[in-house]
Amino acid sequence: MNRRTFLKQGTALSGGLVLSGCLGRLGFETQSAWRDPPIVEDRPDAVYYPAIIEGMGMYGTTTAGSLGFALMHSFPHRFWNLTGSRKTKVVVQSDDSVHLMASVWDTETETILPVDVSVEISNSDGRVSSTNLWPMISPNMGFHYGDNIALPGEGQYDVTLQVGPLQTARTSPFNGRFTEGQSATMQFTFDTDETYNLEIRRLGDKAGTRGTVDLMDMEMIPEPVVPTKSELPGRLLHEGQSGDATMLVALVDGDHRFSDTEGPFLIVSPRTPYNRVMLPRMALSATLDRGGDTITQGTLQASLDPDLGSFYGMGIDELKTGDTVRITVETPPQLARHDGYETAFLDMDPIEFTAE
Amino acid sequence: MTDERGIPRREFLKSAVAIGGAAAFSACLGREDVDVPTGPDDLSSYPQRQHAWNEALPRDDHGNVVAPSHRVLLYLNYRRDGPPNEDDRDQVETALRGIEHAYERSGGGLLLTVSYSPAYFDRFDESLPEDVDLPDPEALAPFEDPEFDTPDAVVHLASNTAQVVLGAEEALKGNKSTLNGVDQPDATLTDVFSIADRRTGFIGDGLPAENADDAEGVPADKVPEDAPLFMGFKSGFKKNQASEDRVTIQSGPFAGGTTQHISKLQLNLNQWYNQDDRWQREAKMFCPYHAENDVIEGAGDNLGTSSKIDDCQPTDETAREMGVVGHSQKSARARDDDDSPLILRRDFDSTDGETASLHFLALQRRITDFVDTREAMNGTDVTEQSAVGQRNNNGILQYIRTERRGNFLVPPRSLRSLPPARPVENAQEVTHESS
Repeated sequence: MNRRTFLKQGTALSGGLVLSGCLGRLGFETQSAWRDPPIVEDRPDAVYYPAIIEGMGMYGTTTAGSLGFALMHSFPHRFWNLTGSRKTKVVVQSDDSVHLMASVWDTETETILPVDVSVEISNSDGRVSSTNLWPMISPNMGFHYGDNIALPGEGQYDVTLQVGPLQTARTSPFNGRFTEGQSATMQFTFDTDETYNLEIRRLGDKAGTRGTVDLMDMEMIPEPVVPTKSELPGRLLHEGQSGDATMLVALVDGDHRFSDTEGPFLIVSPRTPYNRVMLPRMALSATLDRGGDTITQGTLQASLDPDLGSFYGMGIDELKTGDTVRITVETPPQLARHDGYETAFLDMDPIEFTAE
Repeated sequence: MTDERGIPRREFLKSAVAIGGAAAFSACLGREDVDVPTGPDDLSSYPQRQHAWNEALPRDDHGNVVAPSHRVLLYLNYRRDGPPNEDDRDQVETALRGIEHAYERSGGGLLLTVSYSPAYFDRFDESLPEDVDLPDPEALAPFEDPEFDTPDAVVHLASNTAQVVLGAEEALKGNKSTLNGVDQPDATLTDVFSIADRRTGFIGDGLPAENADDAEGVPADKVPEDAPLFMGFKSGFKKNQASEDRVTIQSGPFAGGTTQHISKLQLNLNQWYNQDDRWQREAKMFCPYHAENDVIEGAGDNLGTSSKIDDCQPTDETAREMGVVGHSQKSARARDDDDSPLILRRDFDSTDGETASLHFLALQRRITDFVDTREAMNGTDVTEQSAVGQRNNNGILQYIRTERRGNFLVPPRSLRSLPPARPVENAQEVTHESS
């Protein structure tokens, strides 16, 4: 009996039997703990401690050209998919085997790259799966790419990770970089003992309260974080909050790497609270009012810089004391969310301040 | 392949096309209770445009052409090195006429085209005339890495009757001495060509749902029962299709021909159906306006003759404000000065290799027209100025993976059998006035 026949026959039975049947055939038992973990009640519209934190295992890292690739695994996860401000709960499917994750970075500067990753997985029988991973954010991983994948069974697999060019703008140290796609090939062994025995941390009474766990310590991968307040270039103008994201606004002036033209340049650096996780995939705009008149209005260009990571910026003519600056979030970060992040960074109010 | 397996009749027919062969054909004869008229003895009234299918096909209530349900693509390699000789040309033409005599040229009968790749034309000292834009295939997005199809020729067989495409294929391979009661010539296509690949598929209300079990990774019961394509929505609306005139080469020896791009796109229906909701599917396939305003009922037959893209906001606005752009919304930007789309879709779904996929076959006057349309669909300009990703929330790019691409010239009928790169103009009258 091949797997498809098996699954088809299973469909005729009750749902529960199908599930345990599929899993049993792969050599493991139903892991109800992760297959349908509890969702915390009364979640705040903010970053919160979820009921459980899923462990993560490393399959390995490799490099191709000047890009680093990491491949990681965990048990299949629930997550929320995001389109605009609309989220869809993605539940674990009965044939999902593994939650596969990837990160990509520039090996020269250790900058995490927000470039979409596709994976093609094959074994000795040929191709078994291919998918375009979702950009995601989770409490212990931060920004990464991932999806739940169905595999035909345990064993060794070849995987090709492919990325396209960087779609955002970039600052001068990155001129001419990340303009072409790149792919890397790796191998991994799917072992249910390994993946399904990864740690599940229950957060107990903390669950549902505001806050989050520390990022996992992953020595082989740069952390997907942006600089601290004191590390930002130029003059810090404002520290604001929107949808529980921290929004730092700074101004650089003179001759700088952020723009081809000299002069004042406005930098907005959004990040998660607590862990400073980068928040790419937003659409932001800025308005500058002086004496009741709007003197500048425009798009904050999504960009990548080796020191700042993912940020949003715009050149302006001049910023005077007393000017009102308003940063509007047109689109919240288009990242799929794991438990703990699915209620944050969605309804994001503008931030407004007066320049000193 | 017997009744004992209890396969419903219609389900059997689509599987039969995918399986192919003489046994599948004979089984079809018993299952499909149809009487397909034979073609005429004199084929001289057949149109010069091989791709002039629209007049032969039925229309739906809105006047949209209904694409033929069953398809076979035969990828062929010419057995001889160097330029073809007249004997081979005669052989090919005779074999093709054999199946045209057997089945009338209609939706229920047989529609076919024969096309040739740049690799085929490389065998000639002369290059193709300037009127023909037929570059080698290339990757058409910075994030795709397709294999390129370089066989010499592709025969596209299409019919609303499964046994017709199967029977035609068997006859071309020399496996039928009579077809539909009509004696077949000794000449076969496979004496001249070897078969490099065989691709099959289907399109039409209900067929994808019926075929879902044949492919891995198609979520059970998620493909709507009435949908004509795996992704659940109708396509090929009259106003979103280029006319046959628009895609026809206008001058030179290949006037009356067209160019054909065929890509094989793998579909990720798990993400599409299990990880997105209906709102997202509507927003991503059409545009956010349609999703917000419940414009689409079911597969979208209520849309009439267009995908109503005029109601959508401009792509850059929805990208910034909604974080998503629709596939139709982006693609509709590729239009000519007369506001006509540039390509004529003749695509169809497939379960080849037990994978849900789409054979995206498109006709256009120049391959450049296809490249421009695909560029509009990539939406790279949109991603640079918004939170829309290279694939994520960028039409349907998240769910498709380009596996193969190939470019072909569909010459006019008079040149369909091993054409030279530089035909003498008005050569039409020279061969096979009738047979």
